[in-house]
Amino acid sequence: MNERIRLLFAEAADLKTYTLRNKDMSIDIAYIAPLCDEKMVSDFITVPFTKEEVSYRKHLHTIPEYLKVEDSARWQDLLLRGNVMIRDNETGDIYSLFTGDVICNESPQTQVESAIQGPQIALSEDLNKSLNLIRTMYPVPELGIEEYSVGYISKTPLLVLFDQRHVDPSVLDNVRSKLSSISVDMVHAAGELEKLLIGKRRHLFPTVLITERPDRIARALGKGKVVVLIKGSMFALIMPASFFDFMHAIEDNYEAYWMTRVLIIIRYMSIVLTITLPALYIAIVSYNPELFRVQLAFSIAASRSAVPYPSYIEVFIMLFMIETLIEASIRLPRYIGSTATTVGGLILGQAAQQAGLVSSIMIIVTSVVAISNFVIPINSLSFSVRFLKYPLIVSSIFFGITGVAVGLFLYLCYLCNLRSFGKPYFRLHGKINPAEGDIGQVRTK
Amino acid sequence: MNRYFFYNFMLVSLMNLMLFVPHILVSNRYSGAVASLLVAPVIGAILIYMFTNAMSRYPGLGFQDILKLHCPRWLVSLSSIFFAVMWWFSSTIVVVAYAVLINRFFNPDTNSTIILIVLVVAAAYAASRSTLTINFIIEITIIVNAPIILFILFKMVRSPQLNLDSIRVVANYVTKMPTIITISAATLIFTGYIYLALYNRLLPPNFRFKHLYIYPVLGFIILVITFFVPIGFHGTEGVDRYIYLWAVTSDSLSMQYGFIERVVFLFLIVFLNLTLVYTMSGWHLGMEYIKGCFKGSKPEIDSPKAPLSNYIILGTFATATVLYLIFTNEKLNYLITSYWLVLRMFTEIVSVLWIFILSRRRLRSE
Repeated sequence: MNERIRLLFAEAADLKTYTLRNKDMSIDIAYIAPLCDEKMVSDFITVPFTKEEVSYRKHLHTIPEYLKVEDSARWQDLLLRGNVMIRDNETGDIYSLFTGDVICNESPQTQVESAIQGPQIALSEDLNKSLNLIRTMYPVPELGIEEYSVGYISKTPLLVLFDQRHVDPSVLDNVRSKLSSISVDMVHAAGELEKLLIGKRRHLFPTVLITERPDRIARALGKGKVVVLIKGSMFALIMPASFFDFMHAIEDNYEAYWMTRVLIIIRYMSIVLTITLPALYIAIVSYNPELFRVQLAFSIAASRSAVPYPSYIEVFIMLFMIETLIEASIRLPRYIGSTATTVGGLILGQAAQQAGLVSSIMIIVTSVVAISNFVIPINSLSFSVRFLKYPLIVSSIFFGITGVAVGLFLYLCYLCNLRSFGKPYFRLHGKINPAEGDIGQVRTK
Repeated sequence: MNRYFFYNFMLVSLMNLMLFVPHILVSNRYSGAVASLLVAPVIGAILIYMFTNAMSRYPGLGFQDILKLHCPRWLVSLSSIFFAVMWWFSSTIVVVAYAVLINRFFNPDTNSTIILIVLVVAAAYAASRSTLTINFIIEITIIVNAPIILFILFKMVRSPQLNLDSIRVVANYVTKMPTIITISAATLIFTGYIYLALYNRLLPPNFRFKHLYIYPVLGFIILVITFFVPIGFHGTEGVDRYIYLWAVTSDSLSMQYGFIERVVFLFLIVFLNLTLVYTMSGWHLGMEYIKGCFKGSKPEIDSPKAPLSNYIILGTFATATVLYLIFTNEKLNYLITSYWLVLRMFTEIVSVLWIFILSRRRLRSE
């Protein structure tokens, strides 16, 4: 066996092959040292083999962790996943033993979606630890778990989780067929898998919820959603997702009722503001200043008196600055990041206005746009909403308020048109009488 | 899912302002408009009852699908094309009127043809989506805009400028016999049920229409407000000087608090949304009627991708609308609309009777 394994692999110094011999038998063992736990190898193989308290052949037959390998084509794959291959030289049987030792972060704290009260622990990069968390929070026997792997080279293991009682079979079939039809070389991140699952190259809104919180996953499972865990990424995918899921912070379930409702309303208001405000500024300043009451229109005009160019150039300058500032503070190392925000804040706050580059109203508009964008609880939605203001700005340059209203209408149509794994993405859920059925249910397969 | 029926009803009854209904009624205020306000709910109620009753016997089927079951092919195709043209035209009147309105009130400098092209492209894109999507769009638009409309109406009815005397003077002409044109204008408010001709495809099999009595009552209230509030503001004589009666009426109000002072802007933005949705909905119906004429067409309610035929049909609709604006003017548009309203009423009565008789015949034969 060992010669053949050495032939199968390239000149790899970390591939270890031995032949061991004791009184009554001899075995060949082979493993890739960095992938395996050497202590396990010695505890399970070398020590019992040399001590010979019980015949080692009996070990091989009785302990279920020694799996018999019939197919020699699987050797490479098993070795690369941290298995030790053992060959009994008398009978010629070949066994594998999993001794994998994968480096991952140890029970991390939530960082992206933090909650003040509520579970502070996030999913792990190791599938078993994540599964441990989810099983603990969702201890039902109906939890179905299926294994997949994607990527021709990376062979990233995936787990598909769902509650058999609640899951929508059409969604599950859809997810299964999409997963088995993925053909790429490597998948390492949840966002990458999301793009492959949606199958559209250009999408404006995220239709799969990416989360690191086990409590959110448990809730989603209870609602009949399908969850996909990826090895090596501490984020899970929840599907199908609706737009309103993205606007829902997990803490809305934990805190006092009225304040959380108010917060939800504020979130929706701020998403409207962050999309429309720059466009409305252009439309009002350049087309319809009479829309506002006279005093307000005058004060806007007065604050713009020092600005020498049309309103949309002003908007483009300020939005360029704020977007670069946000981008810089994300990409920079944490220690320099604060410097960037201080410098940028100074420029945006005062100097630009005093220099007569932009009006002071525009500074307020810019900061409202930026702040209300951060209110969105799920990062992927917040990211896509950042883009939405630009097409509106363009249409307001040409058509004023009419352009803004028509643009919003088009966004609405696009949102209503989206489907997340066959389920409507943007739809108000009223009361549905189960005996009566839902609209559009007649012809669904 | 009664609410989806309700949204369609609300959409049409609010859109009457764009279809010159207030102007037609007001110019006939001494010659039968008041009596037609009383007659219209009765006609509307009967039609609503007959149509919903007939359609609920065919769950999951549209008007055209039902005709295909009972009638010869040539008759179905012929009537479908006629209905499609009617639907296209009902939206075209509104969107053309609104493009001119934007030119009057919002952007006096821009060319109304360009504005119309923008509106038409947006509505055509929306109409090319699936039937299910169209219903979601209608739902969200009505829910977002209805509070604003209610607010405007509340402000108007509570306004001290509303002169109740002139309303009473006009109301006393109730004894005059209604004419065909005032009745056809007034029944437009109740015509939202006709959308069921297509949207019945969406309704689930166990669906039952509930609270049907609401619709005539609601329609009557809207009709009374539509007719009497402008009279209260402009007086018995001054009221027929304006074609865009409600835009002018809402301009007589001001909001003392808040950013926006003139109510007319609120009104215009709300009605821009409603116009787009109405155009979308009407064109979608027209498109589906035409698609149903072709052999081998299968009715789909939620296809993941819009087929090419959608774009071709809607492109034709949109081009025809732009040509309509170029070749007509406001006066001609108003004249055509008032004749169209009469034609629409008779078409509706005929189609409702047709489908009602078909459904009864089927009942007897079973």
